[in-house]
Amino acid sequence: MSETREHAARLLRAYQAQEKRFVERRFPLEFVPEVPALRELYSQSKGLRWNPETDIAWDRFDPSRYEKTTREAACRTWSRRAWSVYPGLTESTALLIRFCLESGSLGMDAKLFLSFRPAEEAKHLEVCHMLAERLGGYEPDPGEPGLARISNHPFGQAALDGDLPVEAFVAALGALDDQLDLNLYVSHLQQAKDEVVRAALRLIAVDRARHVAFAWAFLGSRVPALDARGRAAVIAAVSDLLTNVVLVGYRNTWLLPEKSREPWLAAEAETARHGLGASTPTQERGVLRATIAQVRERFAAWTLDLPRVEHAELGAI
Amino acid sequence: MLIEKERTGAYVLEQRYPLPLSSAMPNVWELWRRAKTLEWDPQTDIPWEDLHPERYSAEQRLAAQMYWSRRTWGEYGAISESPALLLRFCLERQLPDLQFFFTMRTMEEGRHAEASWLMAERLGRYFPQPQNPPTAGAVGTHGVRRMAFDPETSLEGIFASLVCAAEEILIDVFKATVHKATNPAVRRLMELILRDEVRHIAFGWQCLDAWAPSFTPETVRNIEAAVTTMIENVEFRGYRNLWLAIEGGSATPAEIDADRISCEAGLGGNTPEDEMQVFPDFLRKIRKRMAPWGVSLPMFDHPRLGKV
Repeated sequence: MSETREHAARLLRAYQAQEKRFVERRFPLEFVPEVPALRELYSQSKGLRWNPETDIAWDRFDPSRYEKTTREAACRTWSRRAWSVYPGLTESTALLIRFCLESGSLGMDAKLFLSFRPAEEAKHLEVCHMLAERLGGYEPDPGEPGLARISNHPFGQAALDGDLPVEAFVAALGALDDQLDLNLYVSHLQQAKDEVVRAALRLIAVDRARHVAFAWAFLGSRVPALDARGRAAVIAAVSDLLTNVVLVGYRNTWLLPEKSREPWLAAEAETARHGLGASTPTQERGVLRATIAQVRERFAAWTLDLPRVEHAELGAI
Repeated sequence: MLIEKERTGAYVLEQRYPLPLSSAMPNVWELWRRAKTLEWDPQTDIPWEDLHPERYSAEQRLAAQMYWSRRTWGEYGAISESPALLLRFCLERQLPDLQFFFTMRTMEEGRHAEASWLMAERLGRYFPQPQNPPTAGAVGTHGVRRMAFDPETSLEGIFASLVCAAEEILIDVFKATVHKATNPAVRRLMELILRDEVRHIAFGWQCLDAWAPSFTPETVRNIEAAVTTMIENVEFRGYRNLWLAIEGGSATPAEIDADRISCEAGLGGNTPEDEMQVFPDFLRKIRKRMAPWGVSLPMFDHPRLGKV
């Protein structure tokens, strides 16, 4: 057996072991809306569907308007963005399965919403790929072990981990990480000047805004009923993700260890300068601080206290 | 918590790079492209105003409610179980075409579940469970999630059993009976589901045809075993149609007869006569279709269908 196949088998066994810990009770299988806000988000997913191939005016995209170095930089930026979108395929699928394993009688709003999300992630992935291809060619590999490692976390397995309350997973990945991701897309959109890139960013941001709204609405429906253990798990998961994932550069290149930042950081600066879909480190720093403040304030409404974090460069956050 | 389990190896890291995203199977990529242009919304794309449940007898409405409720349970399996296949594609680093297409499939199955539930509801009532709980075993699961997470179960076997057997027969019955659905809302729903499912089945056959040249004798045996299991342990236990359940299970006579009554009222479903015709044809078709791969399916004994 090749090393790749052997590793894939190991991964599957890990998922298999997690799945076996659940006893699915499929019946009664309820479809009536429980949380109208979540059902509404599902309805919006159906109504706001779009097609990366036909809803973006690709024929108006003219990469030859830009210098070769700018094209290469933007190509790198959009390739890196594709790598950061890709995990959404597994993470949202694993979360869907988790909801189904937990109960047939609960959570249909979330299940229906999540049945759409992997396809939305795939559309975002396709957009990133199409842009990178048109700018010179998608790069399938970071080629730098540090970045490859930091952009690869087993969150799909976390979604299926029975020891991790589903509320804690959604708080960490949805309320914090998706929120930061959305806010960064909005920042890139504000800086973007190319009309095709703006259209692409806007379409992605609209979907991502729904994903974030899902996380907050879901938490709003569940957190008030959590016991002390569940509440502690929510805070622990969010703090963990903030400290060990976000602040080491999962979403922000300027937070990567110094030796892993280039050539990505320079590429983003050039991409931002020419309005091709990126923000400067200063702009991203503002987005990150604002996002953490936003998350902390919303958690406070549920008397959940997200502790301060110390960071070597950013100080106390 | 999250990261601790990553560091200690309790969670296994994927080998994610290189991450190819270009199409390598044009036929499958075309299915992904088509799926994006053919999205629909159960709430707005069915002429619900033409349903008029009040025009049907209480017996017909009840039968149709039962039929569409059971369809809902079946479609739910495709939300609860089959998405595990997308995880498998990603973990095994299968071609991007498979990954992209399967995201749309999950979405479409969610839509079918919602649409089937809406149909039962708007006919008067959705039943959230079988009348006698033991029936849940027969109608509750086809076991694909467990197979998808099992590295010892070949992907080819899962495709052959889930897509080329379970979904194929479902669609063959739909195709053979859609003309009997005289109710415009029911008919439109069946047509829309059919349109999606045709792509799902095409996906399975296209993948297996592409992989067939590399099938080993073990792969062929896996396919034969998986399809046989799907026929004997899922179809013949009444997962799709209770009339086919060999042992009858604990389904009530009303549940068993629901498909026929609903079909005769033009509200969806099929009759035992339809099954007698379609099921043997389906088996003949897949036997012939799989033969070039070296796959030989056994004959099946069924008390009502005979030797098929």
